[in-house]
Amino acid sequence: MNINILIGGAAGQGINKVSDIVSNVLSKYGYYTFNYRDYPSLIRGGHNFNVLAISDIPIESHSLKMDFIVALDERTIETHKSELKKGGVLVTSEGFEDEGKNLNVALAGFLIKILGIPLKNLESEINSQFKESEDALISAKKGFDKAEKKFSLKKLNNKISILSGSEAVSIGARNSSLDVYIAYPMTPSTNVMNEMAKNQVENNLMVFQPENEIAGVSMALGSSFAGAKTMVGTSGGGFDLMGESLSMQGISGIPLTVYLASRPGPGTGVPTYTSQSDLDIALRAGHGEFPRIVIAPGNPIEAIEKTSEALLLSEKFRTLSIILSDKHLAESEFSSDEKLKKVERFSVVRDVPGEKIVKAASYEVDGTGNSTEDAVLTEKNADLRVEKYESLKEYIVKNMEMIKIHGNKDSKNLIIGWGSTSGAIKDAIKDLDAKFLQVMYMKPLSPQIKEEMENAEHIILVECNVTGQLGRLLREKTGIKIENRLLKYDGRPFCVDELKEHLKEML
Amino acid sequence: MVNEEEKSVIKPVIAILKSETVKKLGTQQENTWCPGCPNFVILDSVKQVVAKFIDEGKYKQEDFAITTDIGCHAKIFDYLNLSGIYCLHGRAIPTAIGMKLGNPNLKVLTFAGDGAAYSEGISHFIHAFKYNPDMTLVLHDNQSFSLTTGQPTPTSQQGFLSKSEPLGVFDKPINPLKLALASNATFIARVNARDIKHMNEIFAKAINHKGFSFVEVIQDCLIFNLDANHKDKMMYKIEDNTDLSLAEKLVGEFDYNSKEGKIPIGVIYQNEKIPSLEEKWPQLKSLMEKGVGWKGKDL
Repeated sequence: MNINILIGGAAGQGINKVSDIVSNVLSKYGYYTFNYRDYPSLIRGGHNFNVLAISDIPIESHSLKMDFIVALDERTIETHKSELKKGGVLVTSEGFEDEGKNLNVALAGFLIKILGIPLKNLESEINSQFKESEDALISAKKGFDKAEKKFSLKKLNNKISILSGSEAVSIGARNSSLDVYIAYPMTPSTNVMNEMAKNQVENNLMVFQPENEIAGVSMALGSSFAGAKTMVGTSGGGFDLMGESLSMQGISGIPLTVYLASRPGPGTGVPTYTSQSDLDIALRAGHGEFPRIVIAPGNPIEAIEKTSEALLLSEKFRTLSIILSDKHLAESEFSSDEKLKKVERFSVVRDVPGEKIVKAASYEVDGTGNSTEDAVLTEKNADLRVEKYESLKEYIVKNMEMIKIHGNKDSKNLIIGWGSTSGAIKDAIKDLDAKFLQVMYMKPLSPQIKEEMENAEHIILVECNVTGQLGRLLREKTGIKIENRLLKYDGRPFCVDELKEHLKEML
Repeated sequence: MVNEEEKSVIKPVIAILKSETVKKLGTQQENTWCPGCPNFVILDSVKQVVAKFIDEGKYKQEDFAITTDIGCHAKIFDYLNLSGIYCLHGRAIPTAIGMKLGNPNLKVLTFAGDGAAYSEGISHFIHAFKYNPDMTLVLHDNQSFSLTTGQPTPTSQQGFLSKSEPLGVFDKPINPLKLALASNATFIARVNARDIKHMNEIFAKAINHKGFSFVEVIQDCLIFNLDANHKDKMMYKIEDNTDLSLAEKLVGEFDYNSKEGKIPIGVIYQNEKIPSLEEKWPQLKSLMEKGVGWKGKDL
């Protein structure tokens, strides 16, 4: 089964509350949900919508075509009525004119009844979300009573939790006992900052908002130098500003982990939408030649694990690790019953000021840590940076899960993708003769990728950018050019049904 | 010509320079400042002041950490045997604040020039007063970008002719002390690089200040922007001042532009009632109480 519900309204009407209540009730009832959030850059008014997808098997994507549309305002009806499937149901605020600010709660109740879930499940969710509001419960019940049951969902025994990519990055950082997180607000990276900041004192970490990203990353280098496990978070433009200090990391060897959540550029672009167009800068930002690691998780479980890996690798190899995400992963809400892999705990063991005399520099240095312009040392230091990359690559290839293979493992049809696009690809190939190679380590790349590409008869690249950045990277590293490319760059992620249609045509 | 007063200053200075701790604060690096550069005096002063703190048992050599910018002043990184980061141009202040976030117990000294701090790093300079971390900024001001061969900085005087601005500087210089005061500075001082005794006294007061202490060092460049040199005759020493309205008057006395007027040197303003960054953040306060950085948080 796969049910898609679009919930739309003006910003401030509380459409997130509707998907929040419904997905919480469903996940506790054993169902998998995926919630996509679509909103423009404004605070009140305009038009926002969520698409909540529901399934009895794991899903990580939503559809173009809707089973239900829940419209909190007229504009939602006008904008989305053509997306309603034949036989689909439009739920409006008609009959709920008196609910005021609790209209969203009433409509959530309405949906719960339609899905055939008992009232008591709704009541317990409302009670836990609105501890002191009798009104919310009354509105929810009113919504429930007005609806007619259309489905009869049976209770399932899946143990499901719901997480956004932002929550996941924050959990991963805390699992590795991050000490200091520094970020300047920028969509879609801000939610990680908010998550980390929430209970910072209790969680024994510190979240600092500096005057700009340049200050932020400079502070991060100072903090890491002083012995704190430190991470910065940003998005495209902010990451550009950090560029010089990534280079500073490269020469000084002060461990640094960067969370980069991308959105469509260039410039301010389309700030509240999604894009995979910052892979190039993640791989290249910063002048000079120096090692780095770029990891792109595809869902929250991977985001938890890969954030911990990034922090571990930064410290172990005194290098730069970049966790590359985007708005679709950062802000969509995923459900999962997967168990987390065990996190490798690590401590800062290097010498730090306060204990020893330690020097780090933006210049090339000699054995004493002081600056040098010597030709022999200049060459030697460059060689050492290359050696560092070789040794971290060897370690990662041996110890880390760098790629994932999904779908029919014997298929000669190979789909290649990465990051947040992985969810739609995994769901789209469920009944196709195709194998999906999900690249998680973008640098270094797994040697297995070339083998997979050589063994395939037909390769399709799927990415959310206009130039096929992973495709270009693979061509550079393997010499193989992928001719068939499915690229989406309208700021919206792939929907599973549209992706499946395209793939069918191309296979 | 050395007058009697200066002779009496030189003797104790030599005695301090011979101290074992001062020697330990030096390095083997070849010094590449121009002969006669006032930076030599600043280096000696820093060594003497830090050595005194160490000899008095207040801090260990390892407790100090420095950041330096890029420019002539920044070469001090190579000549001081102290922990530190030789930062990118303009970034010495935020990197130093980061050190305090990573370990609030460090005694942090930042060395920056008028070019780096007031151009590329001006936003960091302003915000440092707002955050008020317990650290010291030593600002070497010679009104010139010298390591890049003599271009104007934000404090260069009007009319300064250089290769990059052959028509002369059109704009009036900024007044960093006024800016500091407007940004809620808790410690502003000014010293003359030619007066090591006074410099020692003021650096020690700056390091002892609980909060962000800003010391502007007026120094000549012997190669570039020679017109800005020799301001000694305009300088006069003031008593330590904690009065805000007097401070407002004092910071306005020198405009970095005219050859006339007075240049007050000494502690122009100090206010220890404003909490430092370390006192404001409960996480840092707790590390201070334990006497550790984040690395030792579980100890």
